[in-house]
Amino acid sequence: MMTPLYKYGFFGDELSLVVAFVLGIGFGFCLERAGFGSARKLAAQFYLYDMSVFKVMFTAIVTAMLGVTYLGWIGWLDLSQVYLVPTFLGPQILGGLVLGVGFVVGGYCPGTSAAAVATGRVDGMVYALGIFAGTFAYAEVYPSIKAFVNSNEMGQVTLPEVLGLPWGVIVFVVVVVAVVGFWGAGKVERWIGSRS
Amino acid sequence: MRWSALPLNRKLAAVALVLGAGALFSQPHRGPVVKLDTRELAMIVEQQVDHVTPAELAAWIVEGRADYRLLDLRSESEFASYHIPTAENVPVSALPDFPLQPGEKVILYSEGGIHAAQAWMLVRAQGHAAVYTVLGGLDGWKEEVLFPVIPADATAQQRARFEQVAAIATFFGGQPRTAEVAATAAPGSPALPTVTTPAAPELPSMAPPVAGRTAPAAAPKKKKKEGC
Repeated sequence: MMTPLYKYGFFGDELSLVVAFVLGIGFGFCLERAGFGSARKLAAQFYLYDMSVFKVMFTAIVTAMLGVTYLGWIGWLDLSQVYLVPTFLGPQILGGLVLGVGFVVGGYCPGTSAAAVATGRVDGMVYALGIFAGTFAYAEVYPSIKAFVNSNEMGQVTLPEVLGLPWGVIVFVVVVVAVVGFWGAGKVERWIGSRS
Repeated sequence: MRWSALPLNRKLAAVALVLGAGALFSQPHRGPVVKLDTRELAMIVEQQVDHVTPAELAAWIVEGRADYRLLDLRSESEFASYHIPTAENVPVSALPDFPLQPGEKVILYSEGGIHAAQAWMLVRAQGHAAVYTVLGGLDGWKEEVLFPVIPADATAQQRARFEQVAAIATFFGGQPRTAEVAATAAPGSPALPTVTTPAAPELPSMAPPVAGRTAPAAAPKKKKKEGC
């Protein structure tokens, strides 16, 4: 069997929506179990006394990265069929900063706000309304910022391509950075915790 | 410290490190990602040096030339019912993995020519420079080689030339037609000859009969050298 299942035609558009729903519920469940349905927990990341967001997200990255690498290696995953979001360096850096500010101010990111809405948190609902308003505003101003949004296009690039390093080396380096980062995150938490 | 005594997060970190180290030797392949010189390709297309005419191809087959790979991109059943002698059947989806020698001359054809033109881009992208399509595809082959038509009011010179074309048509099991016959014929092409392949080297050698027609037996029009 070859994956991605959808690209290889194992199921059609209708079933793909069902699969997306199941995966979305699973994602939301994991976010909630990690405590990310609470804005306090998420905001704590930015004050450095609870590094859960960093640890959970980096764990997810490392897990997915290793999974993709090994599945591709043994031939169960056709990496040429995996969609990569195209890189627009400048606009995406600015977009990341805007999202970061929104994250600190609102206490959620888009995914976690959905988890918060599902668990009945009012602040999550307000945040979700903000997402809709923001999306609407973005669509309205899009024509005037179109040139910037589409600038710095680099296409569907990967780190091995940009850095000219073998895939495996990047994987190994990211794993090492993650493990060192987890160790460092624990230190930071204890240090900040002891100060307050 | 014993493994069982380690906390879960340390165990996971250890597993990740081991897998990460193993990944150093991995070769997950994202498929060939290539860069194309789009200006060069546009130039080739514009100068029409990316194809051979059916008559040229026919002459090569008659001569028994073996310095090219002729690839039929149609389905297996279509290929079985008829194909140009010396052709190999390669569905477009199998093209990226089809073993071609570097520098090999590759000639592609499909029914009309659209698939062949698309496949041309694929093979070019794989780094093969000597890629050509058969002008008009199999339809062009039928019209020009198998069932050539001589106009009713042909001059003596045209008739003399047509004799050579007709000889080639007969050679490939086709049938030269006069304009009247072609006009009265039922829509669609006449019945295709049964294929007698594999062919070229085994075909009786025959003087290229289209010699006076164009410049047929010549190699495909060479593209300009890079840098010129």
